[in-house]
Amino acid sequence: MELQEKITILSGAARYDASCASSGCSNDTPRRGMGNTSQGGICHSWADDGRCISLLKILLSNDCRYDCAYCVNRSSNPVPRASFTAREVVDLTMEFYRRNYIEGLFLSSAVNVSPDHTMEAMVRVAEILRNEERFGGYIHLKIIPGSSPELVRRAGLAADRISVNIELPSSESLKRLAPQKSKEAILAPMKLIGAEAGASLAERRKSRNAPRFAPAGQSTQMIIGASPETDLQILRLSQGLYSRMNLKRVYYSAFVPVNSDNRLPVLSAPPLLREHRLYQADWLLRFYGFSAEEILSDDAPNLDESFDPKTAWALRNPAFFPVEINRADYATLLRVPGIGVTSARRIIAARRFAPISPEGMKKIGVVMKRAKYFITCSGRPFEIIDQQPARLRQRLLLGDGSEAKLPRQLVLPGLG
Amino acid sequence: MNKYLYDGTPEGLVSAIAAILDSGENPEKTVLSVRQDTLFEEGLFLRTDSALAEALFERLRQRAPDAVQTLWYFTMAEADGLETSLLRYVALAFEHGDRVNGYLTHASVKAIVGTARKAGRELHRMKGLLRFEQLRDGTWLARMEPDCNVLHPLARHFSRRLRGQQWFIYDVRRRSAAHWNGRDLSFGTLEQFSRPELSEEEKAVRQMWQSFFKTIAIPERKNPRLQKSNMPAKYWKYLTEKQGE
Repeated sequence: MELQEKITILSGAARYDASCASSGCSNDTPRRGMGNTSQGGICHSWADDGRCISLLKILLSNDCRYDCAYCVNRSSNPVPRASFTAREVVDLTMEFYRRNYIEGLFLSSAVNVSPDHTMEAMVRVAEILRNEERFGGYIHLKIIPGSSPELVRRAGLAADRISVNIELPSSESLKRLAPQKSKEAILAPMKLIGAEAGASLAERRKSRNAPRFAPAGQSTQMIIGASPETDLQILRLSQGLYSRMNLKRVYYSAFVPVNSDNRLPVLSAPPLLREHRLYQADWLLRFYGFSAEEILSDDAPNLDESFDPKTAWALRNPAFFPVEINRADYATLLRVPGIGVTSARRIIAARRFAPISPEGMKKIGVVMKRAKYFITCSGRPFEIIDQQPARLRQRLLLGDGSEAKLPRQLVLPGLG
Repeated sequence: MNKYLYDGTPEGLVSAIAAILDSGENPEKTVLSVRQDTLFEEGLFLRTDSALAEALFERLRQRAPDAVQTLWYFTMAEADGLETSLLRYVALAFEHGDRVNGYLTHASVKAIVGTARKAGRELHRMKGLLRFEQLRDGTWLARMEPDCNVLHPLARHFSRRLRGQQWFIYDVRRRSAAHWNGRDLSFGTLEQFSRPELSEEEKAVRQMWQSFFKTIAIPERKNPRLQKSNMPAKYWKYLTEKQGE
């Protein structure tokens, strides 16, 4: 089979993996080698779906013995199958890198003979890149559930980031839709990675030359909308993964119906708005000091489609507002709709010089069309703070007399 | 308002700012602009004094290194008409040190820091969007037409990253080029430029990248508006994956 054809098959099969981050570590170019990484990551292009392309995201093989209901590569699907040799992937990575198409490689694979067989082949690609090509760019390896601890360790030593896909938000759904994968087989390598990364950090504090284990950390991904879990269940799971497993990122992937299967829901389109709201809520967990239980409750376990989760929280908690811009601390500022991490920092920096006026808020970059209902500036409100939540909801939705705008689908850049 | 004029050169600008700051005038009540040589022009012309300009820079570097960094990015943006803002920004930098960049509610700080940020954003963007092509002789060429003059820092980035290959980066708009020979970086201008022939291999690799680019998008999520807002069409001209669109 021509290389060109393999690329089409194996990148088409890899596109449902959401992660394309190339951030989280900064490596220098190896001696007599090529490539480095940049702490903030670099996007090299944006595909027709608007998602960023930072890595050569590709499968080593799509020839799978598993039959997971949601997956395009499942064994019962009559799709063309292809596999790369290690050398083919190495050469492709290097040729693309030389031309500055990419930051590096994101390698995943279908499972053919056994998890260890596949994992070994994937690790070998990364090891050839590091040892023979002296490649210093970014490598993200997917860990195949069920692979041996020894291979997970080798993967962590060769790659910048490694990830195990949790696939579905509950073990019941996993049993139903991916019967050949088990919760234990997924969680065991996650725990191992966490422990190895921690041990490597401790070693490196003692000696700078101690080997680095997945310096950009581990991430995971779950499919949204293929199974019946609520957003609260999903956010609780993410919260646990961040706090107990020390994950860098949890990716949410709106379910794209690629197979017809009576175990799967029938959707007219992927639930992109729900995915977007989950990412917003995920940001609230990681950067804004919110807990899953503040964002959602058992009475209202799903995110509001009309409002971003912070605005929805603000509407439910009128007693918290208004916030005085010239006095509130950082954590309080962060809870105001329309004020993000950057604006909150800027407000604190700017008010050291002089009290911030309403025009000053715009200069700083605060989204005033949301923030104005929730703040005062030196005691003066911007708007008569309407105590009737129903009225406020309406004004936030419709703006001040302008026509209603549908919430726009956003996709987060592959950074962070 | 006190009005001052200078000759329009970068050095003249710095030297004029130094002269005004030394004079003890209140920068918030002073306006600085380029001399236009019209009959009705008002204002006192300040002659360029290189020593004065250099001394100002040195003092600022001591007092506010981050502000010097901001000025460096500001210069890359090649913005016109911000002389008065620059004067006031530098005065504030001497007064407050590096904290000045947090004073975004001040119109002049906002203008200078905002313009510098624009250049910083484009530099970051070009680190991703620049495309190298392999030429017949095995060297590499990348062409670009950025809004800001990002060639120097961009070339330094690639001198670390693509250390093992010899390359040129050519800014078509400014006719300026950077060259890395595997050891040293040099800069120059090119009056005449024609793109040399590409290597045999180049065509095959380009095709593979184009195939990858096409299939990596999820058809059910097609979103050209989002693609354009992340990657404005002005950058497509030299993007391998966007050739023929």
